[in-house]
Amino acid sequence: MPDSDSESVTPAGGTAIAERPVDEVLAQTPWVTIVWDDPVNLMSYVTHVFVTYFHYTKSKAEKLMLQVHTTGKAIVSSGSREAMERDVTAMHEYGLWATLDKSDK
Amino acid sequence: MGDSRQVRQVKKFHKRRGMIVTQLSAYEVELLASLIMQLIELVSDGEPEGFADRSVANDPFEEIVKDLEGEPDEPGPLEDPVLKRLFPDAYPHDAAAAGDFRRFTERNLKATKVAEARVVLNRLATTELGARDLKIPNEEIESWLRTLTSVRLAVATRLGINDAAAADELAALPDEDPRSFMVSVYDWLGFAQETLISAL
Repeated sequence: MPDSDSESVTPAGGTAIAERPVDEVLAQTPWVTIVWDDPVNLMSYVTHVFVTYFHYTKSKAEKLMLQVHTTGKAIVSSGSREAMERDVTAMHEYGLWATLDKSDK
Repeated sequence: MGDSRQVRQVKKFHKRRGMIVTQLSAYEVELLASLIMQLIELVSDGEPEGFADRSVANDPFEEIVKDLEGEPDEPGPLEDPVLKRLFPDAYPHDAAAAGDFRRFTERNLKATKVAEARVVLNRLATTELGARDLKIPNEEIESWLRTLTSVRLAVATRLGINDAAAADELAALPDEDPRSFMVSVYDWLGFAQETLISAL
């Protein structure tokens, strides 16, 4: 199961040392899973997915769901690229429209 | 997101002795089964026979070996709009990464959807065309929710529900519109899913 918060994610710049190979630094760049709004999935279902899969509290899940609904998208998790690919796959299993991207931070 | 308008004559799901229960008519059982079979057919198209039989837990090593062997039937670009919606691009701005992601995940994802759809079909069959109550055990709830979602996404895509405006427009269709039957099916599915979630 994925981390339920982003606190454990270290920005690449924070721990990079001069000798570290570029690939390794890149591998530490945080990625995010984004869920996009769609006109089909029910609000109650989207909340249920966030609670069930991410183990978020009901109130956090509802907040994220409303953010998707009102602004069109929300970042629902962050972490390594590998972890985000797992999360995106899981969201697709649930029928949510999800993508992953590099974090802007 | 969608809202579920209430359709008359549909019985809500409710909880009874720890089980999610409802009653369906013979017509509703046949309708839902037929939609699910269409989903299975669409998702299985182009996949080898029995690809979904190994249940959800595929051996990742075996998958990678198969992948290295370069199977000729590795997924190409999806043509059908329903498949595009069920298996969206994970990397919208990076076609190469999206293709790799698809290659590594799509077959498993399809197998999961088919396996879960079969769970729902088998449970529907236990109602003997609605003669008996539909009782969904806890371990099948997620399969039900996800399969109802896939079927709703398929019906919505066929109806052209791509945004909220399109959904509103369809909600106001006159009865004589040829699409109004599918719209009523879509509403029925939404109502079933909404009451299933609230019964949990």
